[in-house]
Amino acid sequence: MASSKQRKQFWDTVQFVLILVVAAVILVPIYWIASGAFKQHVDIFQLKLIFTPTLENFRIIFKSPYNLFDKLINSTLVAFCTVLIAIPLATMAAYSFSRFRMFGERVMFVTILATQFVPAVVIVLPFFILFRDLGILDTRLSLVLVNLSLIMPFAIWMIKGFIDGIPLDTEEAALVDGSSRLQVIWNVVLPMTMPGLITAGIFCFILAWNEFLFAVILTTNKAVTMPVGLALFHAEEGVLWHLISAAGILIMAPMFVLALIIQKHFVQGMTVGAVR
Amino acid sequence: MRDRHLKYLFVLPAVLVVLTAAIWPLLQSFYLSFREWKLSRARLSRPLWELEYDGWENISYLFENYLRAFEDEAMWNSVRVTSTFTVASVAVTIGLALALALLLAPGGRFRLTVRTLLILPFSMSPALIGVSWRFMFQPDFGLFKAFFDVLIPPLAHADWLGDPTLAMIALIGSDVWHWTPYLTLVFIGGLANVPKDAQEAAMIDGAPAWMVFRDVTLPSMLPVLAVGILLKTIFSLKMFDQVFMLTNGGPGNATQTLAHFIYFQGFKYYDMGYASAVSYLLVLPMFGLAWLYMKLVFLKR
Amino acid sequence: MASVTLENITKSWGSVTAVNNISLSVRDQEFLVLLGPSGCGKTTTMRMIAGLEEPTKGDVFIGEQRVNDELPKDRDVAMVFQNYGLYPHMSVYENIRYPLKVRRVPKSEHAEQVRRAAEKVRLEQLLDRRPRELSGGQRQRVALARAIVRTPTVFLMDEPLSNLDAKLRVSMRAELKHLQHELRITTVYVTHDQIEAMTLADRVAVMDHGIISQLDTPENIYNDPTNLFVAGFIGSPAMNLIPGTLQQGQFQHPHLSILTGLGDCQQATLGVRPEDLELTQSENGTCSGSVYSFELTGESTLVTVQLGDDLLTVRGPKEFRIGIDEAVGVRLVSEKCYLFDSATKQRLRV
Repeated sequence: MASSKQRKQFWDTVQFVLILVVAAVILVPIYWIASGAFKQHVDIFQLKLIFTPTLENFRIIFKSPYNLFDKLINSTLVAFCTVLIAIPLATMAAYSFSRFRMFGERVMFVTILATQFVPAVVIVLPFFILFRDLGILDTRLSLVLVNLSLIMPFAIWMIKGFIDGIPLDTEEAALVDGSSRLQVIWNVVLPMTMPGLITAGIFCFILAWNEFLFAVILTTNKAVTMPVGLALFHAEEGVLWHLISAAGILIMAPMFVLALIIQKHFVQGMTVGAVR
Repeated sequence: MRDRHLKYLFVLPAVLVVLTAAIWPLLQSFYLSFREWKLSRARLSRPLWELEYDGWENISYLFENYLRAFEDEAMWNSVRVTSTFTVASVAVTIGLALALALLLAPGGRFRLTVRTLLILPFSMSPALIGVSWRFMFQPDFGLFKAFFDVLIPPLAHADWLGDPTLAMIALIGSDVWHWTPYLTLVFIGGLANVPKDAQEAAMIDGAPAWMVFRDVTLPSMLPVLAVGILLKTIFSLKMFDQVFMLTNGGPGNATQTLAHFIYFQGFKYYDMGYASAVSYLLVLPMFGLAWLYMKLVFLKR
Repeated sequence: MASVTLENITKSWGSVTAVNNISLSVRDQEFLVLLGPSGCGKTTTMRMIAGLEEPTKGDVFIGEQRVNDELPKDRDVAMVFQNYGLYPHMSVYENIRYPLKVRRVPKSEHAEQVRRAAEKVRLEQLLDRRPRELSGGQRQRVALARAIVRTPTVFLMDEPLSNLDAKLRVSMRAELKHLQHELRITTVYVTHDQIEAMTLADRVAVMDHGIISQLDTPENIYNDPTNLFVAGFIGSPAMNLIPGTLQQGQFQHPHLSILTGLGDCQQATLGVRPEDLELTQSENGTCSGSVYSFELTGESTLVTVQLGDDLLTVRGPKEFRIGIDEAVGVRLVSEKCYLFDSATKQRLRV
């Protein structure tokens, strides 16, 4: 029947249009913020699509009273340190969970994963009090510590998944050849899981970078990170959209780049163990 | 060192970190929930255990925070808000993600290119998403106003963030935007594991496309879907950043989720004890869901 | 019950051409086998008949009707997949019943038809099981039952026996042949196993790199190959192929010379089947060489003889014994020899 072919073409067109819509829906909010960063303040209120771009906003946000540069440093340091601590520790634990039978391993593993499901507010309350008493409120150190609660379970889970995916054969061959367990891990396992470790590391970096709740509660001035910095742009006359957009670009652009780099492993990382 | 010692040594640091970073605060919160405690009264140097509290003589005082929670209209409002938000956001996100997965799963350069876009919303800070959407919903110069001007004129003049219902829709919208693309990727992965032979057999047996989906694809996807629904529910219950930036609980407290309510109690009114109690009310369903999740995941092993 | 006709069918993806302008006519109730090595295009061809692939060029006819634009579900074909394609979450009964359910056969008739199909493949005891509880052979029979339950116009089978162990394969072959004869349904069968092709087919289409090398009865394919590819592919052990030259009817090879009835050819290949050769004393043979290896197969002895750079395999009597590197003679008769043009790969005939 001729209509069968026509029907197919019709559906193909419909699908094509829908896919374009999806792409647009994803890109438009991003573009909106991105374009706002380059608009002058007045242009914001006029909803212009064509406008004369300016870099003025970026200059402003790096100066007083916003000092976004400090916040940029804070975000980078906090995320970096969190990942630096989390990944090695997580890898060690993940290796154990993956390769060894341990007493109480199920309880341990389940508990570790379950902490991911705890709302951040529950965790931050006692820490706030503790840090206040210790005098380390508003420090990057406090943020790193608290971020670990968020990142560690995730990292262990992801990395364990990657290690599970590596066949035992190579390790066992090395053990038979005479390597100690530590040598096997260093010479065999680590190189093979490196892509997985990098993926997990970047994933966790993104999570720490975007983290908001802990930062907004535990910092006030010196250790403020970028997402919290967004709140600075609420002025008396209203929100300074052009400035907030500029800050927004600085927050999202690096993460987009990182996400695109590890794109291929993204899904595998999060669903590993859940979907197999 | 032998394996049998090494393996415990390996997990030790990670376990310690999790204990201090996650377990301790959980327990400490529980402890705090039984205390009547106000931040302003405690001085910087006073250790935790010397805080003022009402004595143990009157047992009902112990549970005062919890009792108060049950009678707090604002708290129940938050429960309602959170429930509505969670149910709506999970339903829309999962349904949409499944549909999009079907749309984007087949190969081809076009689809592959669009698929790379799918991780962007996930990698964007939820706080920033809240800001971005708030920007777009501005009544005078927001993007959506221009949009609706063209498509749905009556909605163009609505003050989205000033109307309780519309604000909730906006909040749900931003959350759906945040999570759907990522879940789409997960479901695309799930679709790839559906046995292709069985699908083709169904096509040859005589089933039209929708029946193939219903009888072969969907049953094979059930595990992935279940995990997706569970995870999304947990994330919806936890959601905070967008509320803070988009509506800050408003208008009034129409969009004040429990997480936001707890934040307010603890850090605007500094009523830590009460905040802890309410937060434990939130933790309990989470434990239930976490337990379900564990069962699902370990079922496979 | 109908014929299947392919006219000038081509299938290509970008620069890769899987099926290259083939034409084929399957008669009503015929059992046609598409035979060839992996990658020759046989499965792609069959999938085009099923409607799972669309031809880039050409027409597919089922009966008199052109079905290019028809969806698989409208073509009334049934297919047995290599990996069976069973519905994992349905029971055996529900698997077999599915085609009926989907084509809206009244529910009251399901049980009876499923039972009949299950009986034909001896599955009546297993109707309540799930596919994962079944062995490979049982799953294959479920796939078969599902295919026959609705008596389609055409049967398509994609290497259905290749995942079974050797013994099961042999017994299933016999069952398939019997079943097809009983049901009298036009069948197209894809395989790389030439024994399956020989034993099951009414006709065989030998395929190579997207084209049909020869389309003929199994007998003719075996006894009268039209080109080098078919000659070398059919027969186990394979036909011996010796390169040489042909001058005025005389085939010349450093260690072998034989008079044939044919003319001249610069580069010729002599083909002769192992069972058409005879082992003898090295002085008495048409050619002689040293034993390269020999294998006892139980019902015969295969002796491979070294002729310069080439090897000649001879099927000898099962009592025959000889040592490696010993000298032996081989006798050929020209009537049993085939000659091919090495350049065009075609068979040379008088």
